Amino acid sequence: MSEQHEIEALVSRDYKYGFVTDIEQEIIPPGLNEDVVRLISAKKNEPEFLLEWRLKAYRHWLTMSPPTWAHVHYPPIDYQALSYYAAPKSVAEQAEIDANRPKSLDDVDPKLLEMYAKLGIPLHERAALAGVAVDAVFDSVSVTTTFREKLAEVGVIFCSFSEAVHSHPELIKKYLGTVVPAGDNYYAALNSAVFSDGSFVFIPKGVRCPMELSTYFRINALNTGQFERTLIVAEEGAHVSYLEGCTAPQRDENQLHAAVVELVALDDATIKYSTVQNWYPGDEHGKGGIYNFVTKRGDARGDRSKITWTQVEAGSAITWKYPSCILRGDDSVGEFYSVAVSNHYQQVDSGTKMIHLGKRTRSTIVSKSISAGRSQNAYRGLVHIAKTADDARNYTQCDALLIGDRNGAHTFPYIESKNASAQIEHEATTTKVSDDQIFYLKSRGITEENATNMIVNGFCKEVFNELPMEFAVEAQALLAVSLEGSVG
Amino acid sequence: MSAPMPRALEPIVLPDWLRAALSQPATARVAPSSRQAAALAQILNWGLPTARDEEWRWTNLRPIARLAAAEPQAKAPCSDLSVGIPDALVIRFVGGQLQALPQNLPAGLSLTPLSRAHDIDRAAAFAPSAQSRNDALLALNTACATEGVVLDIAANADIQAPVVLDWQDNNQHGNHSHTRLFIRMGAHSTATVLEATQAPENTPHWRNAVSVIEQGANSQLTHISLGLAGDQRLLTDRSFVQLGRDARYRSINIQLGGQLARREIDVNISESGAHCDLLGLMMPRGKQVMDTHTRITHGAPHTTSNEQYQIIADEAGRGIFKGRILVAEDAQKIEAYQNSRNLLLSNTAEIDTKPELEIYADDVKCSHGATIGRLDDEALYYLQSRGISRTNARKLLITGFAQEIIDALPYPELVAQMSAMMQTHMGDAP
Repeated sequence: MSEQHEIEALVSRDYKYGFVTDIEQEIIPPGLNEDVVRLISAKKNEPEFLLEWRLKAYRHWLTMSPPTWAHVHYPPIDYQALSYYAAPKSVAEQAEIDANRPKSLDDVDPKLLEMYAKLGIPLHERAALAGVAVDAVFDSVSVTTTFREKLAEVGVIFCSFSEAVHSHPELIKKYLGTVVPAGDNYYAALNSAVFSDGSFVFIPKGVRCPMELSTYFRINALNTGQFERTLIVAEEGAHVSYLEGCTAPQRDENQLHAAVVELVALDDATIKYSTVQNWYPGDEHGKGGIYNFVTKRGDARGDRSKITWTQVEAGSAITWKYPSCILRGDDSVGEFYSVAVSNHYQQVDSGTKMIHLGKRTRSTIVSKSISAGRSQNAYRGLVHIAKTADDARNYTQCDALLIGDRNGAHTFPYIESKNASAQIEHEATTTKVSDDQIFYLKSRGITEENATNMIVNGFCKEVFNELPMEFAVEAQALLAVSLEGSVG
Repeated sequence: MSAPMPRALEPIVLPDWLRAALSQPATARVAPSSRQAAALAQILNWGLPTARDEEWRWTNLRPIARLAAAEPQAKAPCSDLSVGIPDALVIRFVGGQLQALPQNLPAGLSLTPLSRAHDIDRAAAFAPSAQSRNDALLALNTACATEGVVLDIAANADIQAPVVLDWQDNNQHGNHSHTRLFIRMGAHSTATVLEATQAPENTPHWRNAVSVIEQGANSQLTHISLGLAGDQRLLTDRSFVQLGRDARYRSINIQLGGQLARREIDVNISESGAHCDLLGLMMPRGKQVMDTHTRITHGAPHTTSNEQYQIIADEAGRGIFKGRILVAEDAQKIEAYQNSRNLLLSNTAEIDTKPELEIYADDVKCSHGATIGRLDDEALYYLQSRGISRTNARKLLITGFAQEIIDALPYPELVAQMSAMMQTHMGDAP
């Protein structure tokens, strides 16, 4: 019984990012119609082609209905009750004055900087120490991008999406929507219509990005949705590692986050995209929390290109997310490493899609899920081998660890093969933390809590090894707090 | 509110000849009338399932929709598979109609045509009800079934002789038929039921079958289903199995012939100690489509299941396997293993597999594995280095792979016959 208690204690943690920043915000009234789409576009002073694109997406969205196939349950969302644009006022004013003017850190509202300091994001000098260039997105507007000059020296473009629209419209026009089309799915269409900001990264031919790039997303305002859009293009032979982190204040209402991420890798390019997702998961009774409905897709367009998704999913009330790779180029490689932790009443339906089109394409999927409390944690994946994908190879491993007897762990893998030379392997296991392992560690003087932590960390090691070092440390700590009070 | 508009209702796909058949007076139908009426309303409302329905995303029922209302033709029956199996008790259905039942039954076994069965038995035989359009064919069977058999195995009876259901699916009585089988096993009883489905060449016929199996405590059933000859034969067949305490159910499903074979096996393990084995081999080639969906529900603690399915797809054949293992809340101490191994031999063939785990209890050991691949290059090379031609080496390896399931059949005579048929089916393809 006392063991049970320790485990309980290990899972019940507090959400330490739950504060609200009191800052004057410019929020447009709730509701969604063509005028709202036009307003968002006008606020950002966008060129005509982008407004047309948004309107097309919006009209298509009207004809769609929300997906119901995922293993998650939630009341229908009233899309008219949400506000589709929220910006810290100072930034908004500034944006209106001159959308093109590059922003330096000094122009940023000190209150914002204070918040980011609280979150532990390495802006300013801390950024220099960490060697990470950060683009921070606060609700709908990108606040600042550090290290711009240093990146510009080698030709890397790293800026907010709305800036890129003005400074590099040709690149946006060329690549936007080519991986996730505007009408791809319900949430992607919604995002395409109302996306407010996000990050844009362009690595020119032959350049190895000298530092890791990072975006930090935060939802602050009440009753707003966050719809950011990230576009990363790596030209021939380019190499980039990109990190993404997310938090939100603690609120009783559910908030919607519907992002789109598009990656394009040309010949011999490598993109590594790592996420530590820690949106507010709701309280221990399942109240509040973020609905994280995200479309992430990478297009390994060039021969010998490589796209790696690594994710640690600890937050959100509901996660609906399938970072995917389209392996178009010959010899291209797709990888997906994921740890999804769910506790209390969290619901996770996540996985990946590997679409093999090119010859000798290879993909690896390693998915580890840990469910505790009364959560439901599902892996849903697709491996598709097209007729053209000679000698394609896939290896998939999905393991689920159950902590407590009131939760669920599910695996729904779709495997489709149309090429006789392809080889596909899929393995999945579901077990609980073994009593023998716990007993062994306890007999060596390790407390039950630490023993469980060790076992869980060992279970996830394969994925953590793929994370950049700073993130790996953070991920381990996150895992420990996420499971606080649940292990047994 | 400019909420998104609901998706336009899809057209109901129900071929005219089927709609006409449904409007016939219900004189010869055997389901209890209230169940029949409800099912009829469902199928008229739903139509046939389409790729939009999750359980049918890989299997298209177009061959059924295209089935013409062919003129009935008298055809000579196919050869009897049970030849050689000692003491086989053969029940023959021709075009869905029951021929004579075997005489001199062993003690403890009783066979009754469904049309003459007791109301209670008929109610039990038609107990499963359709929940959504995924189950439309079950509703269709309930609405239309005209005949079937009740197999009653008394408690403690050990029936050594196999009960053979010889389904001669020719179009002597029209282009489609709906049959229902009800097997009830008393406590501690043992039996083997062998279903063989076949039809002559160029004989389009669709049989939509349902079997309902209730196993009492500690009973043992071996249920074999063989899909044999018939290039235009269509089969949709769903089994519902309910296992009592310590009961054992073993299913061996081998599909070689037919244009379309879709089998669904739902096993409900609702009492402790019960176990099921599901073995399957599907070898689609030409333009054959072979599909098996299994659902094992572990509803009680201390239950186990083991599943092995193999597909060998050649030419333009399509093989589909979807296996779901569901462990209910509080069903602890479960062991469930599932293995889907597949050989894809041609670039025009396709294999789709979806091994699912849905687990709501924690003290479980569940795993599944799935592979789709080609023949092992090293094994081929080894055989060739021993002087065996590439063609023969391939044949040997494919045979070895298929034989794993065929060898699990009881009766050496049956193994020999099925091995020979498998070889013939494989043909001379390189």
